[in-house]
Formats: sequence, structure tokens, C-alpha cells
Amino acid sequence: MNTANTIELQAMGASKSSLMKRIILGFFYLLLVIIAILQVLPLVWLFFFSLKSNQEVFTLAPFVLPNPPRWENYVNVWTQGNISRYFMNSIWITVVSVALTVLLANFVTYAVTRMKWKLSSLVLGLFMVGLMIPVHSTLIPLFNLYDHLNLINHPLSIILSYVAFNLPITIMILLGFYMALPREVEEAAIVDGSSVNRMFFQIILPMTASVMSTTAIINMIYNWNEFIFVNTFISSDELKTLTVGVQNFIGQYSTDWGAIGATLMISVLPILLVFFLLSNKIVEGIAAGSVKG
Amino acid sequence: MRKTLLSIVLVLAMLTVLAACGNNNKANTNTEDNAKVPANDGAKVEEPAAEVAEDVTINFMHLWPAGGSPTQNQIVKKIIEEYQTANTNVTIKTEELENEQYKNKLKVLSASNQLPDIGVTWAAGFLEPYVKGKRFAPLDDMLQGNLNGKFVAGTTDAYAIDGVTYALPLELNIVPVYYNKELFANNNLEVPQTYAEFKNVVKTLSDNGVAPIALGNKDRWTGSLWYMYLADRFGGPETLKSAIDRSGTFEDPALIDAAKEIQELVKMNGFNKGFNGLSNDEGKAEFMNEQAAMYMMGTWELPNYTTNPDVAQEFKDKIGFFKFPTIDGGKGDLNSWVGGPGVGLFVSEDSKVKDEAKKFVEFFVEKWGEHSITEAGVIPATKVDTSTIELNQMYIDLLNELSNASNLTLFADVQMKPVAAETHLNMIQALFGNAVTPEEFAKKHEEALSAGK
Amino acid sequence: MDKVMSNKKVIALYVLPALLLILAIVYIPIILTGYYGLMEWDGVSPMTFIGLDNYQLLLKDGEFWNSVQHSLFLAVVSALSLIAYLLVALVLSSQIKGSNLFRKIYLIPMLMSSVAVAQLWLKIYHPTNGVMNSMLNAIGIENPPLWLADTSIVLGAIFVPIIWQYAGFYILIYYAAFKNIPASLAEAARIDGASPWQIAIRIKLPLIAEVIKVTVVLAVVGSLKYFDLIYVMTGGGPNGASEVMASYMYHKAFRGFDFGYGSAIGFFLLIICLVFTWMIRKLTATKENIEYS
Repeated sequence: MNTANTIELQAMGASKSSLMKRIILGFFYLLLVIIAILQVLPLVWLFFFSLKSNQEVFTLAPFVLPNPPRWENYVNVWTQGNISRYFMNSIWITVVSVALTVLLANFVTYAVTRMKWKLSSLVLGLFMVGLMIPVHSTLIPLFNLYDHLNLINHPLSIILSYVAFNLPITIMILLGFYMALPREVEEAAIVDGSSVNRMFFQIILPMTASVMSTTAIINMIYNWNEFIFVNTFISSDELKTLTVGVQNFIGQYSTDWGAIGATLMISVLPILLVFFLLSNKIVEGIAAGSVKG
Repeated sequence: MRKTLLSIVLVLAMLTVLAACGNNNKANTNTEDNAKVPANDGAKVEEPAAEVAEDVTINFMHLWPAGGSPTQNQIVKKIIEEYQTANTNVTIKTEELENEQYKNKLKVLSASNQLPDIGVTWAAGFLEPYVKGKRFAPLDDMLQGNLNGKFVAGTTDAYAIDGVTYALPLELNIVPVYYNKELFANNNLEVPQTYAEFKNVVKTLSDNGVAPIALGNKDRWTGSLWYMYLADRFGGPETLKSAIDRSGTFEDPALIDAAKEIQELVKMNGFNKGFNGLSNDEGKAEFMNEQAAMYMMGTWELPNYTTNPDVAQEFKDKIGFFKFPTIDGGKGDLNSWVGGPGVGLFVSEDSKVKDEAKKFVEFFVEKWGEHSITEAGVIPATKVDTSTIELNQMYIDLLNELSNASNLTLFADVQMKPVAAETHLNMIQALFGNAVTPEEFAKKHEEALSAGK
Repeated sequence: MDKVMSNKKVIALYVLPALLLILAIVYIPIILTGYYGLMEWDGVSPMTFIGLDNYQLLLKDGEFWNSVQHSLFLAVVSALSLIAYLLVALVLSSQIKGSNLFRKIYLIPMLMSSVAVAQLWLKIYHPTNGVMNSMLNAIGIENPPLWLADTSIVLGAIFVPIIWQYAGFYILIYYAAFKNIPASLAEAARIDGASPWQIAIRIKLPLIAEVIKVTVVLAVVGSLKYFDLIYVMTGGGPNGASEVMASYMYHKAFRGFDFGYGSAIGFFLLIICLVFTWMIRKLTATKENIEYS
């Protein structure tokens, strides 16, 4: 793995002020652990929250498990609350959007960083500006646009919006990575008579495995938790996603907090799962990269 | 890696094909469901007493999602079912959104002139921009026809602009002060008849460690209720009203006194701690947890104190209400209430199935009245014969109060036009938070109201 | 090689789909937003052209500049917190046991939707039985601060969840960047006698300069247009004490029915983001891209 640092630490241990170094190390460790606990607490809290009744939400302290825990919140929400359908919608829309975004972003970043053409900076700039738009100001114009294309209440309106708005940040993350790729690989490939396409798909793309996971996760988080576009462009219940589904439980005069908690818990689980799975890929990808370097 | 890539591309292709197929399906269902497609509806519906009933689909957007407003949601479903059974050619599709999101979406749809055939709206100032933009259809023909005399006096006025009615009210609400009888008894307190007694109640409770009033003023309209009562009691019902409709001024001494009094109450620790940062739900929780003794809220809250099975019966038994007390030397009387019509139904002016939609609205309004009393336990805007229904005592009492009411002052942020309403709400929060003086409070209102927006 | 790498057809193929998408879905709304900003429009009735009146009003609008101040404040705090993230990532990327696990845990808050995060922090900040004030009460503080109701501290109070939610994101990016540095470089420096601290500052940081630049832009721009938690937790209040540009725009456009003015704000926000991005690039222009092969 990262031999430099291992040697560093060993050397640290062997030197005269090793006790001092140990204390510092211990301190860092403690800090890291404290931060980790703080980051996990919200999940724990959400879990407890989802098991409370509407009254207990306000009466019980946040980290107390209600007695009895109301598992029926989950059952209710899945069967009566239509959450199962919203769940499936969230999944397939997220998957398609993420895949499309990552693919297109790779194309663009590659073309902008590795190919030679005059307009590359301009085009890159055009994409970057997309980062700066406050989403709410686009609602009415976009609604109008989709309406003219007959895409209102159609999943494409959501997918296209997600892809378009996530391209800038995805490209941004890929930029640094692509710029650092060594030229020799491409030169060698061209000498071998490879076309650009072949080079891209067979050589370059595989090298981006590690950062691909990062961009996939980031896109996934944004799309999975996105709300305002779905709320605005989708009207029929069959097409709604989880984030909009949660709002079902907020009434005109009162709110069903237990149901909201259960829905939020259900909605965070897939993302947690994918995240932990993909995280390992990052490590593998990085390991492969450093050994080569 | 090559294989992975290939599989990714394959999956993508599959998904795109799926999406495209979905497109076809959606396109098909869209042509069936979308009331805007002329094919079999539209022109023919105009014929009077059409023998051949065309298939009609009506789009109805409302703000009672099944999870958050279960009783109203059920009522809507029942009424739709009844209507569809009696009119087999009609299909009614609903879209259900939560309150804030509903308002948001209504705006967006309206901007592109894509309003649903039937929707929910609030009165007066909220209604106005939509009327100005010719989005809502006039409904006077229904008022003069089958619905003549069915509405409680005055409720439809709030939905009329320049004498034309643009929506029909469903709900009617008044705002009492709910209180916890046990907490009062424990502190040797009686229901206050005068404002001086009220302040004494506040002081006693505060001294004894009980939050006198539960308030969650993050949403601002909750604090506005308190202000409105004070304004009414000081200046009588006309002062605030004329300040808003511009026949008077907001810098009237009575209105400034009311503002001073609010700050007085805050200084006395009359409200629960941190109220200006708490939502209504969080404020309400203080009352439901018996941490606070009083809670001013509309009659829509009644089910929590009468029929809601999720609330403990012993708590419900402890709750009563009283009318906001009168102020010595003030012009408002005990029977002047803050309240008025709640939401109502509109029909979109550009709806392709306008007549059918209107018919359904008529049916809905009538049925809603009965259901909302028996099932939701709230007050409808239509007159309903309650003699044969068994009702909770507090409900009967409030209904009686309503019929004896000398005046109903509609909520200020509904009366005012949108921009002024926003200013009002912000000023309320500033007033409660001691960030403005009562004089500034009045001045800002006057400026906003004279801007006419 | 040049001929292959400047093949116009390939470039077009790689760039056009994404570019067209972004032009349609992102740029059209931007332009329309600027256009609506020139109108007096309540979103419902017909528009009337009023030229630059909205923008002139904007320049004089005290509430708006108040919100700008708050947004800028958030941007500064976000940028500064990047330093902390760098340090954490540095420690993580060295051979600490369990760095893998830590990294995954740190990202958890970002996986949760804003709704969940908002609810959690509302419960933490609750004036009487919130986690914070319960703890303060327990150690004897009689009148703990009213976190979300006190106008003098609400801004600071609400920055905490915002920063906290994104910590994992930046830590992840820095971690990936550090891991990408070939071990040989650090090794060489160590053999020359450099301390771990010197290695970190003199070698590692400069090597990921490009990535740092990207994150600074992301943090600043993200802060300037931030909306979610402000809207859900305080609604910009009390009385505008926590209003930011995006929430102010939302209030004006959607609550106040003044869509013309709201659009002007939105467009102005976009310009501000552009200006800042340009400034950041100018300030960091001396750093060159370092390629290592």
C-alpha cells in the first residue's frame, strides 16, 4: 500500500521523542473517533425517531428508544403510504441519471483535457457556469420548456434535469484527475494505430475507476435526495419519488412524524448500502493507481 | 474492465429502451387521462342535457395527502367515489400535495397556464393575483342556482372580487383560546373575562414555572392571531379592516397599542421559551405536553381535543376554551372573533371540462359539509343540519358561539395582498422578537399597504 | 499524434450531447431568468416590461444586502473549514488503522436528505428539551441560548449543520487526492530527512493544489447559492436574521408573488458566483498544474 507512510510511522516510533509522538498520535486518534461518533449519531437518532409515535416524537428525549418501539410505522408506510412505489421510482431514476451523467461527463472531460481544439476552454467554462445557478429560479422556465415538449409528468423531465445540473460538478471532479494522467499511454496507443474511441474505452476509462466511484456516489446522493424538480414536474402518484413521498405525511394542520421518520430511514438505507459497496472499489482503484505510480 | 464497461453500456441501453417504452405508455395514458386532449371531451360537453354521455376526466389537485390529513383525504375519496358511481362517464384524478408544496406548485402551474381543472385556494389577498390573471372561473351561477342560501352568511364574500365570486369555501374556522383546565385549577385560576384578568393569569402561571401560552412563531401567522385579537379588542373590528382595505390607516393608535401590548406579553414571559424559532407543531407540543397552559388556534385543531384516537382521553378531558377577553376602554366586544372561511375550491378558467368540473364542485361542496362534521370534526362553510348528529360538547359550544358571533375578522395575511402579507408576517416576527418598536411596526405596515401590492 | 487528437468528428461526438443538454436545460432558464428580471410579473398575470427597475431596486434593498452578507459569511466559514478537512484527510491518508472505516463514517451525514438533517438539528437546538440545552442545563447553566430564536446567534447556529453535512464530502475528495500522490515522492523526501509535517506542507499540499482550487470554488459557490437547511430550519428568520440570497429569492418569487424581482435576484446571484469564481482563479493563478509521470 502506501509504503512511504508506513516507514514514516515506524521511524516515528523509533526516534528519541517517541513518547511525544505516541501522545500526538493518540490524540489524533481520539479526535478521529469523536468525530466519527458525531457523524454516526444522526443515523442512530433517525432510527429511534422512526420508531416513535406522533406524541413520543415530542415527549421522549432524542436518544431514547420508545417502549414499545413502533415497527408498525414501517409497515404502514410501506403498504398504505405507497412508499414501495416511490422507492422503486427513486431507484431507477437515480440509476439511469447517474449512469448517464457519469458517462457524458467522462466524454466531455476527456475531450476537453486530452484532445486538442481551440474552443476547449470556452466549452469547459460553459459547463462550469452551470454550477452557479440557484435551482428555484429555473423552475418556471424549465416547466414551460418541458410543457412545450410534452414532458411534464414524464420521468425524462427529471432525468434530463438531473443530468444537466450534475454535469458541472461531475466534470469538475474528473478534471483534476484527467489532467494528471500521463501522456505516454496515449502516445503509445496511437503509435500502435489505435483510434481515439478505442483508446478512450479500453485504456483511459479503466484508469478512472477510482474517481468514477467518487463521482457516482456524489451524483447518487444528489439525485436520490432531490426534491423540488420532482415536486414541480411530476403530478401523478405512480411517478413520484421518495423525497416527495415523505411530504405526503405532512398534513394541512398536523404532521405524522413517525411515518416521516420511517420513510426517511427507508430512504437512507439503499444509499448507505451502495456507498459502502462502492467505497471498497475506491480503495481498490486507488491501490492499483499508486502501485503503478 | 472491458466486460464491466460493456455491461454498463448494455444496461444503459436497456434502461433507455425501458424509458422509451415507458414514454409510449405514458403517452397513451396521458391521452386518456389528460383532460387537455380534445379527442372525445371538450366541445361536446357544452351541449345541454347531452343524451350521449362523453367520457370526461377531471383533474383535481388538493392539499390533503393521505398521511398528513387522513380524515380529509378519506372524505375526498368518498365523495369522488359517490360521484363517479352516479356519473359513470366521469373519472376524477387527484393530485395530493402538502400545504407549502401545494402553494409552490400552484404558482408554477399558473405561470404556464397549466392549472388543474379543480383546485384549492385561499380567500381574499391570496386569490387576487389569480383572478387578475384570469385563471379562475367565476362561479356566481352556482351560487344563484343550486347552492343559493347553502353557505353560512358572509363566507362567500371573502372569495369575491369586484362582486364576482371565484371560489366556493369549504371550511369555516374561528379561533378560540384553548386552555388546560387542570393547570388552571392547580394555580387557582379562573377563566379570564377581562384582559386585566388575563394578564394576571399569565403572571401567575409564569411565576409558578408554567409557560402561560404555547406559541410557535417561526411560521409567523401564529403570532399574527394574537395581534389580531388585541387589535380588535382595542380598536373594534373596523380599525384593522379599514387599515387593510385602505379606507383607514395602519398608524391608528389602537393598532399601535395592540403592538405595544404584544411586546408587554413577551416581556412578561407570557410565551414558551424560544417561541420565535419554533414551528407551530413544536409550539403546539408544549401545550399537548402540558408544559403550557393556553394555546390560541383555530377550530381545525378541535379533533385533537375531541375525537382524535391518538390523543390520550385524559388529556382531551382537561381541555376547554374561552373567548379572548375584552379590554377596558377598548372597542371590541367578547363575541368578535378572528376567523373566517378557510380553503375553497376553484375551477380553472381554461379548463376544457369546465361545466363538468363545476357540476362536481357543486356536488362536492354539499357533501363536504356533512362529512366534515361527522368525520373530521371541523366546521364547514355550508349550513348543515346538526340536530340529528351526535356531536362532542366542545364542538356544539363552538358552533353556538359561531352563530352568536358579532363579527368575523379574516386572517390578516389572507386579507392582505401577497407582498403586504409577507411584510405583515415578517413584522409580526420582528415585533415578537423585540426587533422593532410598535411605531415602526405600524409604519412599515402603512408603507407596504399603500404600495398596493 | 496531433492529428488523431484533434479529430473534429470525435471531439464533436464526445462533447455535443452533453453540451446540447446543458444549453437546453441550464442555459435557457438562465437567460429566461435574466429576461424575467426585466419584467414586472407576479407569475400569473401578463408581464410588463420595466427595464432595469428591478435591478435598481435590488441595489437599494436593505434586506437583500443583509442576505448577501449572510451568504458571504457562510462562504468564508465554508472555505476556512476546508483547512480542517485537509488536516483530517492528511491524517486519514497515512497508515492509521481503520482509516477506511473512518472515511466511510464521515460521509454518512451527506447521505441523509436535508429533511432528515433539518429535523435532527431542530431537535438538537430545541430551546427546552433539545440535546444542546439539556446538556447545558445539566451542567448548571440556567438560561442557555435560544439557538434558533435569538437573532444574534441564529446565523452561527445554523451554519453548524450546514458545514457538518458537507464535511465528509470534502474529506473524501482530499483523501482521494492524497492517495493519488505516488509514494515514491514522499519516500524520497523522508530519506532526505524531512519531518512528516514538512512532507505534508511542502510536498503533498502543492501536489494537490489543483484539487484544492476546485474545492474552494465548490465551497464558495455552494455557500453563495445555499438554500435547503435555511429554508427548512428557520425560514430565513427570525425576521431575516438567517436569510441568505437563495432563500430571499424564494420568498420574493414564490411567497410575495413578485416573480420579476425574484428573477432579478436569481440572476444577480449568478453574477456574484461568477465574479467570485473568477476572483478565486485569479488569486490562485500562479499555481501550475503539476503532472507527474
